[in-house]
Amino acid sequence: MPLLRKERSALPGLNLSLGFTLFYLGLIVLVPLSAAFLKTSGMTWNDFISAVTSQRVLASYRITFLASFAAASVNCVFGLLTAWVLVRYTFPGRRLVDALVDLPFALPTAVAGIALTAIYAKNGWVGQFVDPDGAHRLLPHGIKIAFSEIGIFVALTFIGLPFVVRTVQPVLEELEPELEEASASLGANRWQTITRVILPQLFPALLTGFALSFARALGEYGSVVFISGNMPMKTEITPLLIITQLEQYQYAHATAIAVVMLIASFTLLLLINLLQKWSRRYHRV
Amino acid sequence: MSIHASGIVKTFGQYTALAGVDFHAPSGKLVALLGPSGSGKTTLLRILAGLEFADPGSGRVLFNNEDVTSVPAGKRGVGFVFQHYALFRHMTVFDNVAFGLRVRSRRERPSDAKITERVRELLRLVQLDGLEKRFPTQLSGGQRQRVALARALAVEPKVLLLDEPFGALDAKVRKDLRRWLRKFHDEIHITTVFVTHDQEEALEIADEVVIMNQAKVEQVGTPQDVYDRPATPFVHRFLGNVNILRDTSAWGRTGPIHDNGRLGSDGLIYVRPHDIEVVPHGSDSQGIPAVLRYIHAAGPQAQLTFEVIATGEHVEAHITRSGLAELNLKPNDLALLKLRPSHSFQDYTI
Repeated sequence: MPLLRKERSALPGLNLSLGFTLFYLGLIVLVPLSAAFLKTSGMTWNDFISAVTSQRVLASYRITFLASFAAASVNCVFGLLTAWVLVRYTFPGRRLVDALVDLPFALPTAVAGIALTAIYAKNGWVGQFVDPDGAHRLLPHGIKIAFSEIGIFVALTFIGLPFVVRTVQPVLEELEPELEEASASLGANRWQTITRVILPQLFPALLTGFALSFARALGEYGSVVFISGNMPMKTEITPLLIITQLEQYQYAHATAIAVVMLIASFTLLLLINLLQKWSRRYHRV
Repeated sequence: MSIHASGIVKTFGQYTALAGVDFHAPSGKLVALLGPSGSGKTTLLRILAGLEFADPGSGRVLFNNEDVTSVPAGKRGVGFVFQHYALFRHMTVFDNVAFGLRVRSRRERPSDAKITERVRELLRLVQLDGLEKRFPTQLSGGQRQRVALARALAVEPKVLLLDEPFGALDAKVRKDLRRWLRKFHDEIHITTVFVTHDQEEALEIADEVVIMNQAKVEQVGTPQDVYDRPATPFVHRFLGNVNILRDTSAWGRTGPIHDNGRLGSDGLIYVRPHDIEVVPHGSDSQGIPAVLRYIHAAGPQAQLTFEVIATGEHVEAHITRSGLAELNLKPNDLALLKLRPSHSFQDYTI
């Protein structure tokens, strides 16, 4: 019995293109990833468990996932707002702002990390007003941003913003103004039109933006290491921990942690994809 | 509820969409706003709906003598059906129709049971019962159109406004749906204004036709009025086939040129093809000698194209097929053309 039931289609080349896609994905994605699994499989089960569940590693999962989640969520709100402003209004310098959105993509993340640290450290532009040790502290106790969990969150927000803007923007552009007029003519106020008509249509795109931003944040390393202070149990992210293990020639330990991250990320992305599929259910014809 | 609009001016930058338009829709009537694209008909409809506003200080819109000029769409009590339906894709048919009721403030909102009852009743009315759970993408064009209609009717509007309601449908569905709309209107008797560029559609179902051209109203009247007694050369040209004849004095000897406003204000004679009489050449009657060029007889009547010998003008004449058989004409034969007096509506006054 053939593996794929062949159906006549106006688009030829299913076998060839599918074969190429699988080969390419295998070469670029699966082979490197499977190396991590292979290396890990050299460990005994007990070693593996102890490597991936030590207190320090668990703390790093916690900060990595929480900060990534928080950053992606914040990006959803402000990314949506940015996309809205860019699509709905014309103002001088709109093109410039539009181009600026992509900057976090292009900037080497280490540069972003150093810049953010310089700004939020106790003698930086912003840090001097908010840091507990800042020279011009405004709040009674101050808020520590650089070298704290908040710093990680700030860096991850910075690098994730373009994903939400760029996924929501085209959908918002395609949204017919008639929908809003229809809603208004039926007596809905502006708030009801936004929450019941516009947001539900943007939700799938927003979810994609969230997933991309979240996934990017999970793997982010360059910008975070400068601003986080890298205190074990506190502000040490998982990617950094992997590097640390590698530097100590603990290859199996490093890949074991990587495998846990991979499985966790994959599961989360899968869940988000399913949620997205559900939210687009009305697209089925 | 009657609609009155007067002195409406609307400009978009340099472009004038409406240049002082007056409009009246009598209570309970079905009124067609007819005109070519760019004539301003959709803009006028949107101003009646409150989706667009006339230039400040230019004119007024009255619903039953109540000034609604600056009242926004949601508070005017209008039902608006968009050309491309503008259905909410993420909602089922039921939720789409219920939308207008559910967004009401808590005090005015009917109970869930009442909403369900009302939505079901409306879906029955537009013959879509049983499709409540479908999403708009799962419906045909004609069904979507009726969902849009039900959604607009759910809020019990005093006025129904339809923008090119059949524009996006194929020819067969168009015809069925417009007859259905006429029947539907006879049942619910709500003042309805619809925009169309299709003169056949407007003439077939409207009680009254408002013909617009270049930001102005050209003529207002019943379908028969505007077809039989076009007020301007534009209306002549826009409503169906028309022969435009230059030689007034020569044609004037063959028949009446003042019947039904045939003689346009521009000094040309406008005559519908079925008002051209064809008589055999050599008969003693007067007529304009012309050569038959083409015969198109595949239809209910024979369509003949003549070339007038004196001027070279082409003139189209529609005669019955038995009339053609009697004349026994073939291409390149000579015949005489005359203006047929239009007896039936001679005493008709606007």
